[in-house]
Amino acid sequence: MLETHEKQLEELLAHPSVWRGRSRATVETFPTGFAALDAGLPGGGWPRHGLIEILTPQPGVGELYLLLPALAALSRLTPARWCTWVSPPHEPYAPGLVAHGVALDRMLIVRTHLPLWAQEQALRSGACEVALAWLPRASPRAIRRLQLAAEQGRALGVLYRSKAFASEPSPAMLRVMLEPLADAGRHGARVSLLKSRGGSRDPIDLEWAAAAA
Amino acid sequence: MHPRSYRLIFPEPATSFPGSSATPSVLRVRPASPPPKGPDSQAALKLAPRELWIAVHVPQLPLLALQAAASSAPLVILDAADRNPRIIAADANAQAAGVQVGMTLGAAFALVPHLDARPRDAAREVALMRRLAGIAATFTPQVSIEPPDGLLLEIKPSIALFGGLRALCRQLRDACRADPVLAQIQLQPRFTLAPTALAALAAARAGARCFITDPNVLPARLKPLPLATLRWPEEENARLLGMGVRTLGELMRLPRAGFAKRFGVERLADLDRLLGRRADPRRRLVRRERYRGRLDLDHEIEDHERILEALRPLLDELEQFLRTRQRGITALQCRFHHYRAAPTFCTLRLAHPEANAGRLQALLRERLANLVLPEPVRRCELRGGALSERPLTSSPLWPAGERGHAPAGEMPALIEHLRARLGVGAVYGITQVSEHRPERAQAAAEPALVHGSKLPHGVLSSYAPFRRPLWLLHAPQELDSQRGRPRHGGELKLLAGPERIESGWWDGADVQRDYYIASNTHGARFWIYRECNASRRWFLHGIFG
Repeated sequence: MLETHEKQLEELLAHPSVWRGRSRATVETFPTGFAALDAGLPGGGWPRHGLIEILTPQPGVGELYLLLPALAALSRLTPARWCTWVSPPHEPYAPGLVAHGVALDRMLIVRTHLPLWAQEQALRSGACEVALAWLPRASPRAIRRLQLAAEQGRALGVLYRSKAFASEPSPAMLRVMLEPLADAGRHGARVSLLKSRGGSRDPIDLEWAAAAA
Repeated sequence: MHPRSYRLIFPEPATSFPGSSATPSVLRVRPASPPPKGPDSQAALKLAPRELWIAVHVPQLPLLALQAAASSAPLVILDAADRNPRIIAADANAQAAGVQVGMTLGAAFALVPHLDARPRDAAREVALMRRLAGIAATFTPQVSIEPPDGLLLEIKPSIALFGGLRALCRQLRDACRADPVLAQIQLQPRFTLAPTALAALAAARAGARCFITDPNVLPARLKPLPLATLRWPEEENARLLGMGVRTLGELMRLPRAGFAKRFGVERLADLDRLLGRRADPRRRLVRRERYRGRLDLDHEIEDHERILEALRPLLDELEQFLRTRQRGITALQCRFHHYRAAPTFCTLRLAHPEANAGRLQALLRERLANLVLPEPVRRCELRGGALSERPLTSSPLWPAGERGHAPAGEMPALIEHLRARLGVGAVYGITQVSEHRPERAQAAAEPALVHGSKLPHGVLSSYAPFRRPLWLLHAPQELDSQRGRPRHGGELKLLAGPERIESGWWDGADVQRDYYIASNTHGARFWIYRECNASRRWFLHGIFG
């Protein structure tokens, strides 16, 4: 009798929507392209759908390099859906992206004064593999909305935000902080997981040279 | 022309096909060819029912078109174009008083002094017939309008599709009755079916029940119909009446040669067409290929939601219009007319041909959210753009992205949805251009709806050993420099370079630059360049994200 109850409890706890502290929740993932990062992330890669947050002290520290192998893999899926860039700070540069294996014809740039709205539409539509968004500010409620939209549209949402928001609570399923490596000779960044469902506690050092094709 | 040379052009002698078009049609009325005498010889004509025609006749069309409210006075309608106006339609009251179609107005006034006489509304009559033809066109492509009040459909090829002849006729009748505009004016068309177009028309005009599929019984069934159903000129009808010919049966009994001599070859040809002895090709009705709809509102509306609601009937009509053609539109314009202000235009451009009213309404909602109306709206107008092929796809079983399933309509739908709110220019794709100047090596492009398009020929796919940044600044940003060394958030350390790019002298936008990769003290990497001219200034051009 007790055993069956335990079994039922196990089944219940294995449900993806149940999050128990440091236990590794089962989420559908795909590899990040960096072996060290894969090892540290829950499920061994980026979540296939859901919302992640990447916090940086300043733009240009490698926030795009971190995602490039994933972007390249997702844009080369058949059939691939859109990879949207909602209000990026500069123009994504086609020759640079192509050099890293990204399929340009899946990229969709959205310039808007309503980045939250556009990001929600992109995530909810079911037409996007991944939607990157650069948000100046967003309330936890708005992020919760995006998280739900991403689950509904089976897309990966990525929010790029400033490090200043690290102390704010966020409903995103994964929060990653990027800091440039202290050693200026290496082109890379130190990744620490601020929030994850059972990820590594130690910061992970990554070098972009490994990602560069 | 010598017969031999004739044979050279047509390898098969024309005489082997007595009914072929190579035989001059005049031959048929020569006394030499034995004319069929009476109904018995006609029965010998073995006609396969090659065609089946449905005729739709709208009785009292001029009355219906005027939409006259039940007026107490007897109402007659005149053809205003006629110099000596004759009555072309009379309502039940007028007919009861003795007014007949074809009377002059004077004669009618003599009978009924308080007669209400009105000119016909020919434009509306045509519009009504076109509407009817639009319904008919969902059953067969071979639809032609027989002015002023008849419609012909050749339905033989459509029978199997609609599940039998009777089912088709029933569906056609139901479709005509279901149309809201036609139902509103209580237009009740008559339907007849016959193997020839003229026979079906004649029976419909006579109001006879006619459902003939066998061409052999056609002459016998046409016999009792009055002569006037052929709508030959009044003068010829009078002459025939003088000869004692009142019905089609009596007309058929006349000897062919004499008939041709007295009434002309064309009349005989008419008779042959009526009985299916002669081909009767009809010009197909070419339908409008742009949608236009107009809606006068009962009262002025300002609220966007209510405008959308008011537009719904027009959008439904548009959907029907597109569905019957199996086409979609990629552009739709709404015009909102105001009392004083100039009309407000609202144009919707779509990435993918669309025919669904609900989706169009959703896009219009986004578009209207940005629209400022100077005044309340009194009238809405909807104009569809050119029609384009709409690939017919079935809805997928799985939601997009699940189990590797291809997204069906979601991908263009997202673009349209974003564009409707943010504008066309706000949503774009990027593409590579074969060009050395970095700012021209990429361009904004229409998002590719087909995946896997190859790079255009000649594009530099790799700049190895040089690296390209992931971000490009919209415009190069000039950097401070100290003793010739650039600064950007601290002093920049040059890591790689120079890469000399010197190009474009031929189009006036020439560049001479030395590109370097540099990093600042925070570890961010930049793509900077130094001009090769005298100023030697430093610029920031890209960021290695």
